[in-house]
Amino acid sequence: MDLVVQGIVTGVLIGGLYALMALGISLSWGALKIINLAHFSFILLSAYVVYQLTVTFEVDPLLMTIVVVPVFFVVGVLIQMFFHWAKVDEFKSLIVTFGIFIILQSGMQTIWSADFRRIGSELNTYASGSLTVGGIPLPIPVLLSFMAASGIAVVMSLVLARTYFGKAVRAVAQDPEMARAYGVDTRRVAVLLSGLSGAFSALAGVFIALGQAIYPGLAVSWFGIVFSVVILGGLGNTVGALTAGVIVGAAAGAATVIWGPLAAPLVTFVILIAALLFRPQGLLTSRSVA
Amino acid sequence: MTARTRVLTGFVVVGLALFFVPAITETLDLPRFYVIFLFTVFFWIAQASSWNVLTGFSGYFSFGQGAWYGIGVYTVAVLTGKHGWSFMTALPVAGLLALVGGLALGFVVFRVRRLTGEIFALTTLAVAFVLASVARITSAIDGGTGVFMTGTPIPEFLGDFNTAMYRMTLVVMLLTVLAAYLTHDSRLGWGLFSIRDDEPVAGGLGVPVFRYKMTALAMNAFFAGLMGGVWSLQLGFVTIDDVFNIRVPLFVILMSVLGGLTHWMGPVVGALIIYTFSDRLNSAGLTDVNQIIVGALLVILALAVREGIYPRMRQRWVTTLVTLGGVIAVLSIFNLTESLITDFAFAMLATVLVLMIPDRLWARIRGDDGNAGGKPIGDPVGPLAEVDR
Repeated sequence: MDLVVQGIVTGVLIGGLYALMALGISLSWGALKIINLAHFSFILLSAYVVYQLTVTFEVDPLLMTIVVVPVFFVVGVLIQMFFHWAKVDEFKSLIVTFGIFIILQSGMQTIWSADFRRIGSELNTYASGSLTVGGIPLPIPVLLSFMAASGIAVVMSLVLARTYFGKAVRAVAQDPEMARAYGVDTRRVAVLLSGLSGAFSALAGVFIALGQAIYPGLAVSWFGIVFSVVILGGLGNTVGALTAGVIVGAAAGAATVIWGPLAAPLVTFVILIAALLFRPQGLLTSRSVA
Repeated sequence: MTARTRVLTGFVVVGLALFFVPAITETLDLPRFYVIFLFTVFFWIAQASSWNVLTGFSGYFSFGQGAWYGIGVYTVAVLTGKHGWSFMTALPVAGLLALVGGLALGFVVFRVRRLTGEIFALTTLAVAFVLASVARITSAIDGGTGVFMTGTPIPEFLGDFNTAMYRMTLVVMLLTVLAAYLTHDSRLGWGLFSIRDDEPVAGGLGVPVFRYKMTALAMNAFFAGLMGGVWSLQLGFVTIDDVFNIRVPLFVILMSVLGGLTHWMGPVVGALIIYTFSDRLNSAGLTDVNQIIVGALLVILALAVREGIYPRMRQRWVTTLVTLGGVIAVLSIFNLTESLITDFAFAMLATVLVLMIPDRLWARIRGDDGNAGGKPIGDPVGPLAEVDR
């Protein structure tokens, strides 16, 4: 029984990481109607950059956050400017970002090879550290990512609800033409939001690099689980994404302990399909909002 | 001669011509490689064409091609490799199981009206993942160890391994393209097109939307599974990572988008072009670059040639034939490359580049309005363009 509790708690924390990965996709899909498959390779690229910088300059990997987050913010801005220029719609975005995904994946494979890469324990003191709460050890990397995800989800949801920028984002999500007619600079809002989601992908990459060995195939393995979180949480709903991440993580954690690690993806995808069929609008979203 | 008789005659002629290719290469003592190259092209044509019946015709974008292909591969692999079935009895089962899988998915997802567009695409993606993880944990199927097919005998009347593969892929490919053509040219096809254009209106006007979508999905799954079953022989050793990876869905999308989603010939042309390029790049030792180029092509094509290459080939058919024939002639007369396939690849590259010239620029080059006697294709111009956005 202890093992099951342990599995669920670890799962919940890992769910935070899923939520962090899902946030950017959820926001750009919900508000900008861009399904950004390239987001996954941004996350992995950020992890590789953190790995490379840490190993080359022998510094604290967590410090690299101040490098990768601004850089990927710019990447997000540029990619949205490209989408805007090319007039990419929701459907085309799937194909175009799939192409970008393939390019980045092969690029990473060429540069870093298919080998597993891991920041050595002498540089990465976080990987082995853990915090014991009530007899359950909580590994530091996932704990940090869970905290980051919760923080971002709550702050973003407040920003969306309370600020002018948030209001503009919601207006753009509902009806871009109308928003423009009422004086919202839709292009600027879109570019800023895409920059933010780029920054979130960079942050997720930092925690990936801290917590585990990285290899090019990792990005594909996130597809299913992160999309279940995005859809379960409701498009553009950041707190929803966090909740969904926690639920999916807990279920996968429990399944791992009870049926073994191979059952975890199965449980996740069953949740995804159930979510698609019964609540395609998301868990926390009311039925009237499409 | 009606259009249909003409096309069907074309099928018979092309089919017969292709049927004798292995014999000809043997008599002329050409490298065996040509036969292998051709049957791989057939494999991709069948995969892309079957995908296009669902996605191109009905507009329901599917990432699930890998699922149907995977069902086909694993059915034959498990039945012959683990239960000692003969290949010829296992093959139809592969197609039928994929068909049942397709119907099961369709029965659930087509009942939910919200599941259109991107959500449908992601559901199909998830189905492939689910099948992969089921196969991975079920030791009766794979159990993570892979299935050996090397002991499976091929029926003797089909000849040696390569000839047998050639003949089987040829037959399945012809059947698939024929089915796509007959669908395109029928009541079912018109119904599917109307679903693509506006599903609620189509339903309101009496198109049996649910039944047509089920038929399209079933055809997609059946032919993909059948060709997957044949292909399991070529794989020899079947593993989850090889079968359920992103390669099959990626390539069928790319091929069909390049060729053109709206016409049954689009995926055929697209598969021929993409596979030839990718084969040449691989044989030049540029595997990584190959992937990057494929990705870049996908981006450019999705943005630049919306309607695909095939409609433009029809519109500018003289240019197409001249470029294709001219480049092949020049390259083979001066013997510039080491292989006929390389000649062909260069010729197609030149043709694609010529065909990618936008309509307006093309008109300026030719010095006319570019539309003489032809139907308008590409972006609508004038007041309609605004409405279309």
